[in-house]
Amino acid sequence: MRNTTRLLDVLDRMESGPIVEESQWDMFMVPDEVARVQVEFDIDLNALGDKLVSADDALADRVFAAGLTLAERLGVYCISTSRQIKFSRAEILAALAVAPTEVTFGEGGDRHTERKRQVEDPAHLTIKGGGVGTPIPEHLYLAVHQSYAQESLVDGMINCTLERVYGREIRSRSPWEVLGGWHEVELTKAACRRAGRPGLGLGCVENAVSELSELSATSYGGFSPNDWHHIAMISEFKTDYGALTKLAHLVRTGSVIHAFYNTIYGGSVGGKEGMAIAIVAGSILLQMIYMTNTHSVSPAHPFYDNDTTPEIIQAISVGHQALARNSRLLTDLVITPVSGPGTSTLLYETAAMAIMAAASGSCGLIGPRSAAGIHPAHVSGLEARWMAEVAHAAAGISRGEADALVRQLVALYQPTLNKRPIGKPFPEVYDPVMLRPSPEWQGTYEVVKQELAQMGLAIP
Amino acid sequence: MQQDESNIEVMRERLRAGITAGNKLQGVQLAQEALAAQMSPLEFFHAVIDPVLVEVGDRFSRLEIFLPELMRAGMVVKAMQEEVLEPAVLVGTGESSIVGRVVIGACQGDIHDIGKNMVALMLQVNGFEVTDLGTNVAPRTFIETARQKQADIIAMSSLLTTSMPYIRDLVQLLEGYGLRDQFLVVAGGAAVTHDWAQSVGVDGFGEDAVEAVNVCQNLLLPRKEGHV
Repeated sequence: MRNTTRLLDVLDRMESGPIVEESQWDMFMVPDEVARVQVEFDIDLNALGDKLVSADDALADRVFAAGLTLAERLGVYCISTSRQIKFSRAEILAALAVAPTEVTFGEGGDRHTERKRQVEDPAHLTIKGGGVGTPIPEHLYLAVHQSYAQESLVDGMINCTLERVYGREIRSRSPWEVLGGWHEVELTKAACRRAGRPGLGLGCVENAVSELSELSATSYGGFSPNDWHHIAMISEFKTDYGALTKLAHLVRTGSVIHAFYNTIYGGSVGGKEGMAIAIVAGSILLQMIYMTNTHSVSPAHPFYDNDTTPEIIQAISVGHQALARNSRLLTDLVITPVSGPGTSTLLYETAAMAIMAAASGSCGLIGPRSAAGIHPAHVSGLEARWMAEVAHAAAGISRGEADALVRQLVALYQPTLNKRPIGKPFPEVYDPVMLRPSPEWQGTYEVVKQELAQMGLAIP
Repeated sequence: MQQDESNIEVMRERLRAGITAGNKLQGVQLAQEALAAQMSPLEFFHAVIDPVLVEVGDRFSRLEIFLPELMRAGMVVKAMQEEVLEPAVLVGTGESSIVGRVVIGACQGDIHDIGKNMVALMLQVNGFEVTDLGTNVAPRTFIETARQKQADIIAMSSLLTTSMPYIRDLVQLLEGYGLRDQFLVVAGGAAVTHDWAQSVGVDGFGEDAVEAVNVCQNLLLPRKEGHV
């Protein structure tokens, strides 16, 4: 539950917790504590063998216990004050006991309620379609977003980033960032209205690299409290005045908060075991410091920037099962494939992640962040439709069935990852006026749909 | 004094053990013993440290080991260099085991640091002296530090498109200050592409931590050969 008392408590601890040097935190405290709990709770994902979607409940429960312990021992580091924001186990358990199990975003007829899901739950996942921060040229921004908003299976839209504003470069912590946030409001709201979904809940403010744009664009005439507003936890387990300033504003405006924590494979938390534990600890700590409604992860591969490699799939599967079985938290997954629009591999990567998430108890899917969100305009609405269709079809299947499907899909795309099949930019895969996929892109989608049906997952 | 290969291999094995344990003292003792046995600092670096660090780097590039192991390697080797090898060099021939000096940081407005930390450590384990300015670093801070540290390379990381303009600012400031020839500039991070890096006039671009080291090594070759 969120309230000013908790906000003040976080801010007080931000200025009174133990003082720690950031280098100590990064280089010793985080890696050492992750390694310690990994041993203490006997976390070994190699025991899963070739399985990518775990069906081991005991492992999931141990990962939750390890993550809870890690959250208690580490807390969150505030870069601005060089202090550790710490919580006792009793405080954490008390907060988890009242964490929201559903959240409604959007307005009017376009409102949507995201709900808690269990492992192998037949309930549909919430679909938040969009390019998640992918840079988009200004002249394409509206069309790209309309291509997502017009997809009826999209329950909410996650915005892309503007490459420029009024033709000018956007710089962090500058007036340009404020103008970028407002341009994002104008263009995404226009895209929703043009798609006939004026109240679609928007994931925003994507141009708020610092707090400036969030403070500015979440106000009268801008993004509504019913949109879902982002706050980042900096990897690993860090925050700063900027993020906490956003928090203060969002609490006082009663806005829906969507916080994310994207750990890095091979980084301070180590390999897949550390990553699974960090997903749990990070989600708990997002709840503790940001009182967030939805908790999102998108672990990143250090060389491909994606989250679709087998090790990361295993870690997310176990981490989200741990949270589904042991907490009330609403967990989202950002699907970040290497491949981009126009490629069959984008559809394979997206399908693998959607199936894994559906069986692992994830509550919502975000994206896909096609072409790892790096290549300008390499996104389109069709892949969000695909993400939704696969996730809905997979809701209710067993983890064993999911694993068989995911392994087949991974075998299809994994050999191509090092070639980075980023596909084509939006104007080459969509008719930018009619806003329909090109015949070629539509054809690829139809072929992969057939392939998935042959694998055993029929999509209506 | 020339050491036979079996002795060298024993030393490498001791260094591997020291790195695995994250034991600085073990590394420092090894370096002291080698120098006491009349091995020159540079000979020790090339015969023992360098091959072991190449192994460490290769294993990281295959993700057989992760950042914590890389950190331990960097910590042990840094201690060996600072406490034993560099002081010995100062009183010796003037030869240095430092491959080059790099000032690194995440650009202004960018608070992401794990990728940058990986690059910093990979540079360190490959013999570079690295000054890490952390995150949200203004272009002028990069330049002032590079001057103080007599750096060869300024390395800038940006995960955000809105921080990338500060890379171009740095290049323009160097030109404006008349310092462009003094420092090489390399850029990387998820937001930066090879084409964009070239368009703003940086000297090198690294897609990831492994490539960043190769880029820095290659950029310094002409300087080592006395062409610059």
